[in-house]
Amino acid sequence: MQRPQRKTAVGSKVKTLFLTGFLAIIVTSFAATAALAGVSGFIENDTHYRDERGLSKVRNTFQLEYSKDLGAKGIFSEINFNTTLRATYDAVYDLRDKEWGDKAGGPITMEQIGGPPTGAPAAQVPFGSAAADIFPPQYPFFPGSFDRTKNPNEGLENLGQALHRPNGGFDLAVPVRPCDEDSRGCIDDYMDADLNELRYPEFNDRQDWLREFYVDATIPLDDGKEIGIKLGRQQIVWGRTDLFRVLDVINPVDYSRNNIYDELEDIRIPMWIIETELRTGAGEIFDDLNYSIIWNFDKFRPSNLGQGGTPNQIIGAGSFFRGMNNVWENGGTVGNFAFGNLATNFAPHTIGIREADMPEWSLANTQIGAKVEGVYSDLGFSLNVLHFRQQLPTLRGGIPALNPFGFLTTAGQVAEGMPDDFGVEAPRAYLPAFDIVFPRVNLIGGSLDYYEQNTDSVFRFELAYTTGEEFANTADPKLYSESDVVRWVLGWDRNTFVRSLNAKKAFLTSVQIFGQHLLDHELYNAPLGKVGMPDWEDNYIGTLLVKGWWMRDRLSPQILVAHDYEAKATTFEPSINFLVTDNLSITARWNVKTGTGARKFNDVRAANQFPPFTATPAHADPMVPMPIGMNGFEPLGRFRSGPIGMAQNEDEVSLQIRYSF
Amino acid sequence: MNKKVCALFVAGLMALTGVAYAATAADVDTSLLPYKNFKVDPVKFKPGTVVNQANVETYKDSLDVAMYQFIKDGWYEFTIEKTTSFDPPAPYIEATRKNFNTTKLGEGNLVDFVAGRPFVAEPNTNDPKAGEKLAWNNKYALIAGDGGTIYPFYWKYRDMKSGKLERQIKLRVYSLNFKHRTTEEPIPEITPNPSNIFRGLYIGVEEPFDVKNTQLLIQRHEDDLKRDNAWLYLGFQRRVRRLSSGQTTDAFLGSDLMIEDFEGYNNRVADNTWKYISTEKLLLPFYNHNELKELSDEFEEPDGYRYVAFGGQGNCFPKVTWQLRKVYVIEATPVNPNHPISKRIMYMDAQTGFFSRTVSFDRAGKLWKTWLIGESHPDYHLAVNKGSGIAQWDSFTMIDTQAMHCTTGQFHAYNDPKEVSPSMFTPQYLRKKGK
Repeated sequence: MQRPQRKTAVGSKVKTLFLTGFLAIIVTSFAATAALAGVSGFIENDTHYRDERGLSKVRNTFQLEYSKDLGAKGIFSEINFNTTLRATYDAVYDLRDKEWGDKAGGPITMEQIGGPPTGAPAAQVPFGSAAADIFPPQYPFFPGSFDRTKNPNEGLENLGQALHRPNGGFDLAVPVRPCDEDSRGCIDDYMDADLNELRYPEFNDRQDWLREFYVDATIPLDDGKEIGIKLGRQQIVWGRTDLFRVLDVINPVDYSRNNIYDELEDIRIPMWIIETELRTGAGEIFDDLNYSIIWNFDKFRPSNLGQGGTPNQIIGAGSFFRGMNNVWENGGTVGNFAFGNLATNFAPHTIGIREADMPEWSLANTQIGAKVEGVYSDLGFSLNVLHFRQQLPTLRGGIPALNPFGFLTTAGQVAEGMPDDFGVEAPRAYLPAFDIVFPRVNLIGGSLDYYEQNTDSVFRFELAYTTGEEFANTADPKLYSESDVVRWVLGWDRNTFVRSLNAKKAFLTSVQIFGQHLLDHELYNAPLGKVGMPDWEDNYIGTLLVKGWWMRDRLSPQILVAHDYEAKATTFEPSINFLVTDNLSITARWNVKTGTGARKFNDVRAANQFPPFTATPAHADPMVPMPIGMNGFEPLGRFRSGPIGMAQNEDEVSLQIRYSF
Repeated sequence: MNKKVCALFVAGLMALTGVAYAATAADVDTSLLPYKNFKVDPVKFKPGTVVNQANVETYKDSLDVAMYQFIKDGWYEFTIEKTTSFDPPAPYIEATRKNFNTTKLGEGNLVDFVAGRPFVAEPNTNDPKAGEKLAWNNKYALIAGDGGTIYPFYWKYRDMKSGKLERQIKLRVYSLNFKHRTTEEPIPEITPNPSNIFRGLYIGVEEPFDVKNTQLLIQRHEDDLKRDNAWLYLGFQRRVRRLSSGQTTDAFLGSDLMIEDFEGYNNRVADNTWKYISTEKLLLPFYNHNELKELSDEFEEPDGYRYVAFGGQGNCFPKVTWQLRKVYVIEATPVNPNHPISKRIMYMDAQTGFFSRTVSFDRAGKLWKTWLIGESHPDYHLAVNKGSGIAQWDSFTMIDTQAMHCTTGQFHAYNDPKEVSPSMFTPQYLRKKGK
């Protein structure tokens, strides 16, 4: 269960060296340059308390920003250097190690609602034990034959247990401890953070402590135009909307920091990019017109969805992936699986996630985009194109997986009458055996903003059309399919006086509607329910921000509301910021969700993936695999619940104290 | 008879078109160079005289009502210096001479305005448009010249009761006239200019950390009926977002100033009704910066420049000298009934066309805020400004008398054409200078 000690020890030393070196650099540089212009930063503690879970974050951040105007050199009229260093220590993994750290989780039971063919009553089956009683372990390829020493019933949680009970649905065990303590379910190069990487997330293999590091230079042209070049590790922000990422998709995002609730500036993952701009300024038609090309030549990085067992996971994906990788690598017990009602022990390489196909660096794997942005009269606009990789993972089924249904003779031969592929790994229709991939995506889109004089309002619009995105699809034998997607956001901003509350300062009101339409959406009726894509064909999320200021902007309360229309899930986040001095600020937040919470969707159980052994009465031809629409909360209901609904039981209060300099 | 009819017709037409009070060549000098024959009581306004609580009654008629009260309450005292002419640059005077009487008031806009000061005739209370004409004169005044820089520009927020410094902001400001240029090439306008922008104003915040990288861009159109285009770059969003004009009446960065308060008045002429009240001789903070006896050593500049020091109640008042100036008193009433201000009494320095003092009243008609901008003669300021003829904004205070709070400003201002270019007044510049 544990990783080799040598690797851990070396890794730990490397991390310690990095940490020590980094601290030495920042302390030395800060001491040396504190008196110079361009040095700033902050020290911050952000502590979150989650309902029924206790402390969920005790994050201490030190961030140092340095910029230097290097003046004019050679052909450049100006050169600027900028860097941002960030180091974080989240003490929650030490303070609450039984909840989130290396003592988290425990022994669990898996649900078995019973039923044919055994007629066994509904029960809670201890992980790794009950099914073995049903299927004798002396047959090495028979279900039930997994090594309990490699996958013991400890350090586990049930998938989605914070949100729901299995309720007759798919029930998966999830290892929850950091990957140096428990390597089960840790996916190499994707979700394999050890305790130090969780505690000190910037000190990872990608050296994220060097958050930004770029040079920005300008080449003046004779006609007043300019060429701008920005090279280095940086964030490139496209679009005009808040909170949503329709065009703002160049940098991946770290949702492990605080799910969807931190400022994008703090959770975009900077990448090594070169951006070249031609700034033409005003012309005969446009008041401002600029052309830019970006080349993201960094090694691909997906968005960080949060690792199984950690407090912040968007739609709980990290736990799902970890549980699935564990059952692939080690086998394990899955509740309510066989016939949709039996806790079933799977042998390794039968179901689960095999690996994450992380694109290596190559020229072909780099990402490129272009933008034209300008102003025409009262209209600001941009046209954007981007060729990139999907930053959220796709689970592609159809990988070779074991057929565990059959018998061997005592001589170790396939018994007569058993399937030819018994014990053989081969692609199998509708079998939840996946690889994680990040497909290539093409995006074309644009944005507009417009000031409307009569209503004194600003309207913002953003639109993106993508091809190449992949979605879960239980109607497809490989359990995924491609769909073109249209996403858009319409925003409305207005400053409005409410004199009974504040006679001298207007309130900012900002409303946004986000829409998503899957052009190749599939959803069909099956005997027990619908099968197809769990993502909604059309969905809308609305946000409302109302912000006020008192005491000369030093006291600023706001309320942010987000409602997912189809998920029927709503977040309310009232907060108040008090700027005690220029240097010291305190922010208190309450993040509460309400709504339907967990949603059900077809989970491809009882899809007769191993005919004829797994055929059900709903399968007219027992030799043909076919999903029959059996459904449950896990694993695909998460795509219907969305990030708000899946976090419904993650209500939190938090206090952030920041000292800036 | 026909001649009389024609004369009446012409007079009526002139009244309709706003040039009923036709100016003469002599009015140009009177308007721009009013100190040639300016009479000053040599005893009352003897240089070196300190106006304070003890003698304020003597100067009551030479002070605006708010400043009189401040001095009477012992909040402030200042020294009188001799009145000096802040001669505008020769090209601006020449443009005014060349074009006077060609400019007419149209429907919300000027007609046939070329350059210089649009209206040079002395305002007359019988002229219902006199206040508006003065407002146009302010719009086309040489505020920071055809292009100017203020950097660094320090704002301080103070509790006026205790003098406690609550907040300090460091800004960078650029301004550029796109049209009606007289002193810096290209003259008379910068092209291309497809949206017919008259003037651009850029403000960038460098300190403190929580508002660092905040940038504001305002584009004022030549068409005064068209609202400004404004953009804001917020450092934490890393995005340029368009502003609604409602935000121009919000306190900027929590200061005592609305965006509309910048430069004495920073909005369209059409946003107020303007009523000319009177012409007065009043004391205003016009001075020679380099001859001020006390300057601040708080901030060090590579060029050795020392900022204006502040003192008085809550350290809300600039320690500068005042001089007797020719002043137009105007009452400005916002057209928008939801405007937080019910009216402003504005004291326009007749020579520069600047609103040196304004006194604002809240919706209930109670005194709310008073604005003061200190102007230095360019020949007694930074070397780069010498001979420019551009009066240099040098110090300001905005006092909220209801909240007993003030925001003060200390300028390092100069006019250097090389430092401002049209490209700096585009949204893309905000993106470029942001992170």
